[in-house]
Amino acid sequence: MFLHNLKYELLSSYRVKDLIIWLIIFPMILGTLFKAAFGNIYENISTFKTIPAAVVVEDGIDDTVFRQVMDSMTEGDEPFLKVTYTDKDSALEMLRKDDIKGIIVCGEKLSLTVSGTGSEQSALRSFADQYNNTQHIVMEALKNDPASAQKVIMSLQEDCSPVSSKPMTQGNTDNFIQYFYNLIAMVAIYGSVTGLHITVNNQANLSPLGARKCCSPTPKAIGLGASLIGSYIVQSGCMIICVSFLRFVLDIDFGDRLLLVYISAICGGILGVSLGFFIGSLNKFSFGMKTGLCMTISMISCYLSGLMVGDIKGDIASNTPWLNNINPASVISDCFYCLNIDSDYSRLKVKLLTMFALSAVFSVLGIIITRRKKYAYI
Amino acid sequence: MNTVVKIENLVKRYGDLIALDHLCLDIYEGEVFGLLGPNGSGKTTTINCLLSLLSYDKGSIQIFGKEMTPVSYDIKKDIGIIMQNVAVFDELTVFENIDYFCGLYITDKAKRKQYVEEAIEFTGLNDFKKFYPKKLSGGLLRRLNIACGIAHKPKLIILDEPTVAVDPQSRNKILEGIQELNRNGTTIIYTSHYMEEIEQICTRIAIMDKGRKIAEGTKDQLKRMIKNTETITTELLELPDNVLSQISALPHVYSADYSGDKLTVCCSGGKHNLIRVLDVLQKNDLSFGRVYTELPTLNDVFLEITGTALRDKED
Repeated sequence: MFLHNLKYELLSSYRVKDLIIWLIIFPMILGTLFKAAFGNIYENISTFKTIPAAVVVEDGIDDTVFRQVMDSMTEGDEPFLKVTYTDKDSALEMLRKDDIKGIIVCGEKLSLTVSGTGSEQSALRSFADQYNNTQHIVMEALKNDPASAQKVIMSLQEDCSPVSSKPMTQGNTDNFIQYFYNLIAMVAIYGSVTGLHITVNNQANLSPLGARKCCSPTPKAIGLGASLIGSYIVQSGCMIICVSFLRFVLDIDFGDRLLLVYISAICGGILGVSLGFFIGSLNKFSFGMKTGLCMTISMISCYLSGLMVGDIKGDIASNTPWLNNINPASVISDCFYCLNIDSDYSRLKVKLLTMFALSAVFSVLGIIITRRKKYAYI
Repeated sequence: MNTVVKIENLVKRYGDLIALDHLCLDIYEGEVFGLLGPNGSGKTTTINCLLSLLSYDKGSIQIFGKEMTPVSYDIKKDIGIIMQNVAVFDELTVFENIDYFCGLYITDKAKRKQYVEEAIEFTGLNDFKKFYPKKLSGGLLRRLNIACGIAHKPKLIILDEPTVAVDPQSRNKILEGIQELNRNGTTIIYTSHYMEEIEQICTRIAIMDKGRKIAEGTKDQLKRMIKNTETITTELLELPDNVLSQISALPHVYSADYSGDKLTVCCSGGKHNLIRVLDVLQKNDLSFGRVYTELPTLNDVFLEITGTALRDKED
């Protein structure tokens, strides 16, 4: 009886167009938009590479200091520049072929020729500007205090080099990743609509379908249990699709503990379904009211977790930290932060236990209320 | 005869409104029992109480000799329910819907498959097995609704206004199907506000109004409760008052009314009433058009008992 119910719960769920749209297609579209909006910035920051450039030293110029600076710019595992000393014509030819991003001409002042626009060209321009600005200081330093020249050169190097931060773990620490975390949390919380339909389809006062089920000899606990588990499975499937799409199609870096990301997402989905199931079981409200309540809670929850305004979560953490601990969307997205940032699992465990506890409370309360035997009104 | 359903002194209140007022019913094995009444008379409330979906304030309900409760699963397995509103999954095909609901009653897979096929055959849905409900016409959808309720071969079938918004052809098919189920030994409870349907298929009828049972019996028993035995209608272009008085004075005529070019004469007992009425018209040299006579209907029964016609109440 249970398996029969479960089979048809799954069969009917995966054919619900609304579910496919809101839990699969909509997050894909939103994720793609996020990627389009933040991805370019993200890529520039996270995938900065050595810039190839040509250097042309004009005749009669003393390039001793310049060469020292250039040497320091091309040292190390990830140097700022890869330079080729050549003449002007060859350099222009290289630039035309896109072998280099710019030509640095060392004359009385440093001048720059670049092709097109982009972060690499901007970095070269920034370097040239700073070189010219500091050249005077360096020259003065060499004249007055040769010992300090090296410090000045190093200062110039630090200012010009792109800084690549070293994360504590192998995780992704860029600011934009939080939007993708919250996107996953949003899909999980949208599971509340699936949970809401469990009660609608099982309560005689909410739908003819519920009435017909209540007239059957199948105990309500079996019907409800099958519906809940079926919804958990369907929601878990949606979560797996969402995370997989973000990770493998949009190439969002969720760190090196992907399995735990999937597990956290699934737990989040179960929490969303349980929340909707609980809201649906509140007998005082009409179905329309319950749907509105579900959507409102989902939206507020996602808003407070930073889906729309990135800084709000931090503000809440500073002022009312308890709110983040009970906000389902925050708890879900926090799991991903913990996975990405923390080197151990202590915070993750707390978050997962919180999700489990919230799911259990919502589900048990929902079952207790929904299992009522008779209705005063139908 | 075995009593299948016994309702005693059932009272259901919605706040100050009394939806069921000390309702008593006995429904026997093998009969088609009709619950007739206008909308809001308490038919569906009775059914919902019967199925233990609704709580009630007072009274008792027994089905198959046992008290009906929400957990009376042994009773529920022998009941089939066809709701007023179509209760099927939009996401499941015709076959899957019937299989799902049959599976709530029948656990044996082979038996269930056979029952589902038989239900499809019975309701004439063979060509629509793989159709989704949204692709079905209103009549076919109603048939699917019925198939879902009867597939498990229940001993008692409750049909709550199953022909609402159904075309005449589908309605006839549904009514024929119900009669066939009854011929196979199933007890039927049929609620409707269409008196023609009730007259056509029910062996015994209870008429309800404002939560009360106002009459109960077979069609003939109900019609014998009222004084009207015949209604004569004659189309006339004019009817002088003195002629109307003559007709009113005829033996067995208890009411004569002329309005809208129609003379309506109600008679109670007697023979040759029509001949006597026409004789008066002939003697007064009045020409007339169509003439017809009708035996009393359940509407007349309802009208006489409540003072309002069933159809007027629907309006």
